[in-house]
Amino acid sequence: MKISDIILLASDNLKRNIFRTALTAFGVAVGIGSLSSMISLGKGVSTNISKQMESNDIFTGLTMSSRSMDFDGYSNKTILSDDKKQTVPLSDSTIKEILSWEEVATAFPEQIKPATINLEGKSVVTNIKAIPLEMNGFYPFTKINPGSFYTSESEPCVIMSKIVLDKMGITTPYDSLIGKNIEIITRVFDLDKIDLITSKKKQLPVKNDTTILKIKGIVQTTSFSAGIFNDGIFLPPMTCSFIPSIDLRNVYDIINGEQGKYGKYNTVHIRVKEYAMLKPVKLRLEEKGFSVFSIGDKLEDFEKIFFMLDTVMAVIGSIALIISIFGIVNTLIMAIYERRKEIGIMKSLGATAGQIKMIFYFEAAIIGFGGGVFGVLCGKLISQASGKIANSQLGNFFDSNIEYFSFSWEIVFFSILFSVLVSVIASIYPANKASKIDPLNALRRE
Amino acid sequence: MALIQVEKLSKTYKKGDNKIYALRNINFDIQEGEYVSIVGKSGSGKSTLLNLLGGMDTSAEGGVYYNGKNLLTMNEKDLSYHRKFTVGMIFQSFNLIPSRTAIDNVKLPLIFSNYPVMLRETRACELLYNMGLYNRALHYPSELSGGEAQRVAIARALANKPKVILADEPTGNLDTATSAEIIGLLKMFNEKHNITIIMVTHDKETAYKVSHKTILLSDGEIIKITSNQNK
Repeated sequence: MKISDIILLASDNLKRNIFRTALTAFGVAVGIGSLSSMISLGKGVSTNISKQMESNDIFTGLTMSSRSMDFDGYSNKTILSDDKKQTVPLSDSTIKEILSWEEVATAFPEQIKPATINLEGKSVVTNIKAIPLEMNGFYPFTKINPGSFYTSESEPCVIMSKIVLDKMGITTPYDSLIGKNIEIITRVFDLDKIDLITSKKKQLPVKNDTTILKIKGIVQTTSFSAGIFNDGIFLPPMTCSFIPSIDLRNVYDIINGEQGKYGKYNTVHIRVKEYAMLKPVKLRLEEKGFSVFSIGDKLEDFEKIFFMLDTVMAVIGSIALIISIFGIVNTLIMAIYERRKEIGIMKSLGATAGQIKMIFYFEAAIIGFGGGVFGVLCGKLISQASGKIANSQLGNFFDSNIEYFSFSWEIVFFSILFSVLVSVIASIYPANKASKIDPLNALRRE
Repeated sequence: MALIQVEKLSKTYKKGDNKIYALRNINFDIQEGEYVSIVGKSGSGKSTLLNLLGGMDTSAEGGVYYNGKNLLTMNEKDLSYHRKFTVGMIFQSFNLIPSRTAIDNVKLPLIFSNYPVMLRETRACELLYNMGLYNRALHYPSELSGGEAQRVAIARALANKPKVILADEPTGNLDTATSAEIIGLLKMFNEKHNITIIMVTHDKETAYKVSHKTILLSDGEIIKITSNQNK
């Protein structure tokens, strides 16, 4: 019996009960649809989000401090705690030494000052950050649009971040903001009010200081940018250092009698040339007694989470598929009861047990193929819709729209193949049962 | 050498503690090209004997030899081969597959025997034409009369050119005129194509009229074998 004959006989049999066949195939489609979309989600999330992270240089940056440090990855807040054992000071010579390391692309002190900024009658409390010229070729400053990076360390300008503009609710076209003045209001000591500390009013002796700078560019950062770059406004280091601001940490150090103990800088940002170099550099810095934080450390955790996500999703899809297998077994067993006499006739005409089995295997395979194709189609549609919803909800989290579902041809091919295989496996018992039908009994039963 | 030899064939079944003989010590030979009728009352063991000759049943003692090979000791594969190429079966209730057209029913044994795909249609049409059913080829069994359905069944039985046709009460569901027509067809194939016919019937008159040999069964035993070589 040729394969074309078996396919013809099997499809004829299925056509006879088209509604039941369609329902069974639909069951398979639900299983395959959920399985394929879930695998594609797992694959999409792990591949595309990791890619996004890598494109953001998020894994090549690390922050070092002379104090012990912890990091809350979700709020991007650096929590510094005074650890008496970590007292290696951070100075210009330390940075110079780090810059001489082959693996290091750049290193600079993180100078961050709290400020209120005013633009077009709107204001927001944020941080101003000193970014050296060398950062011009690094993410996120590769994504300045409109405008450009500053050309000198003392240029009186700022680079705005898109996130800050969004927070301020500025809807003006970004092109028109280039060259506009921005007010930066910082808090400074007011020596005239120093007696307030001891007075009954218990007010701090501070006053506002206003600096006006021009907007040079707007950087398209997202919430998912690395560390210090995801928020605030960016200034040339010299310009930043001219803006007066109270450094409360230094105040605390003076109060605690630890002035100068931690060096000139609180934290230093380091960029390694590639991700593989991150760990050796981190270990080297830790050996020197610095506290180092890197989100790259979290990559393995991310991978574990993605793996878990994949597994959980595959399990859910598999459960749906197992249920559909029962549907196939049920359909085929029903077919055996209905076609008992027909099987008897076939055997009386010389059909072998193997030929009868093959007819049932192919019936299951056709159901599996139909269900697989339909399931993959449904999975693709559902994943496209879900991807759109996810992007609309998490749009500003990444630089661009993320393909949360990676519906590759491999997934399509293997989902359909898997569907056919599982269906054929499900048909083994019914097919065996059918092949063992005694023709004499089957014809007598009439 | 006889085409079919039945030797000391017995078949029993149990009813409570009692052993009942469906067939007891059956012995006879059938030569190639013979028309043999097996007659007897209901429950005499006619159909049981025919099923043993067709390889549909092998649970018996003794031997049913086709060209020296015992059907009762054959494996499933060889029995399938026997049913496919050596014998063609016709049933009282036609046993056509209702979801397949007349031509598709005739093609079915050709599918199982790996008959060349290109020639199947021609072979099936030729058989239906010979049965006078060419214009009924695309009709379903439910659209055919009893006589037409039985003729389709005969065409199907002849598809793989078997040496032997086993007919189990082929006229049992037909009126007298149609019965005569079917018997006439079987006789024609027997005479014209030298096909051995073994027919089970309770109609002794027809059996004696058309057969070379009539085996009379009663309670599972052969009462009489009548030969009429003039037929």
